[in-house]
Amino acid sequence: MEMLLQHLDMVIFLVLLTLGYLAGGRAERLHYQSINSREQELLDMPVVTWDEEFPPEQIRGAALVTGSAVISIDYFKRLMAILRNLFGGRVKAYESLVDRARREAILRMKQSAREQGADMILNMRLETAAIGQSANTKNQIGSVEAIAYGTAIIRRGP
Amino acid sequence: MKFTPKSLEGNVNVAETHPLKDLLWMSGGMVLLLGLLVFALGFGADLVASKAPISVESWLGRQVLQKFPGQESTALETRLQSLLAGLPADSPLHQYAFRVFVAKTDEVNAVALPGGNIVVYSGLLKKVESENELAMVLAHELGHFAHRDHLRALGRGLGLAVATGLLFGGDSEASNLVSNTLLTFQAQYSRSQEAAADQYGLDLLAKRYGHAGGATTFFTRLARQAGDKLPYLFASHPHPQSRIDDLNARIKTRHYAVNGVQPLAGDIRP
Repeated sequence: MEMLLQHLDMVIFLVLLTLGYLAGGRAERLHYQSINSREQELLDMPVVTWDEEFPPEQIRGAALVTGSAVISIDYFKRLMAILRNLFGGRVKAYESLVDRARREAILRMKQSAREQGADMILNMRLETAAIGQSANTKNQIGSVEAIAYGTAIIRRGP
Repeated sequence: MKFTPKSLEGNVNVAETHPLKDLLWMSGGMVLLLGLLVFALGFGADLVASKAPISVESWLGRQVLQKFPGQESTALETRLQSLLAGLPADSPLHQYAFRVFVAKTDEVNAVALPGGNIVVYSGLLKKVESENELAMVLAHELGHFAHRDHLRALGRGLGLAVATGLLFGGDSEASNLVSNTLLTFQAQYSRSQEAAADQYGLDLLAKRYGHAGGATTFFTRLARQAGDKLPYLFASHPHPQSRIDDLNARIKTRHYAVNGVQPLAGDIRP
């Protein structure tokens, strides 16, 4: 007990680290499950690049669709990134964050297109932004935002 | 061309390594790195501490002393001089011009600062009950000077702060974490220094009074108060009980007599 009190900041750190690892890991697992199943559901919403004029007689309507997602780091991932800053190499802990943000953003964009009755999305663009730039310094929360946007096309029936 | 929806297998964008394995590798490397750092720092600081001339030390002492506002106490200085008289003529301690200050804090502690300055907290003076106990405290601080611990501690602390600052940046969580961890090791180091200073102090006390009475009584009272739960203050010092045991062991091997103590003269208590 006395040991714990003497090294209180060490104890807090370890608790946060474990919490970050367990909670962050669980959140990530559940998110990937959801991403995978929704990707299957929205598989028939094509996203294509088109550089010519789309035949107007085939279009009943067009709309801008966007989807964005913000994913936060956890205490464990931050420690991993801090250590990576020292040793160099792939920041593996952050790769899954960016991957989740990207795929979630695309899924939300597709979902929004489907709700508007669109058949396909043309010329999708993906952008990412960091929220909380100095996340490695004290008391800063770092997150990554991904935003996907494109033109949803509602085709005239055959 | 017909559009055929197809989902991709696997994910090349995310590393497959288990995060704990990654952590293990990196923290292992980190421990190795820090181990080397602490070793180099300790070696460097000890080298500098043993080579630094006393003039440099006095200058340092004046800088550090400003952080400890206190009143110079001639009553304590005369007691220190009579302890010093017991030292052999070639002792390096004779090169110091010792000054003793009393700082008004309730903390029960005394510090050895560079340049022969000793700061005794008034909280300690309130707890002392005999001349012999007071002499033991002063002799203990003289032990720190004899082992040049005051410089070592300063050098290590400074080196540590600079090194972690360079590695992780001044205000980052990582640098705080690392220096806290290392300070725990430092406290271990400092406990062994305290024990060595106790032994030195005991010998000096025995020389001054001809017996070792009063060497352990002060710690006995502290130990009774401290109980099991140590106040944080003692983290850098050994537990009073283990100090008593060590002192008693030395009293036995050196065959010191333990006689009655002299009551405290009136010039100490304010």
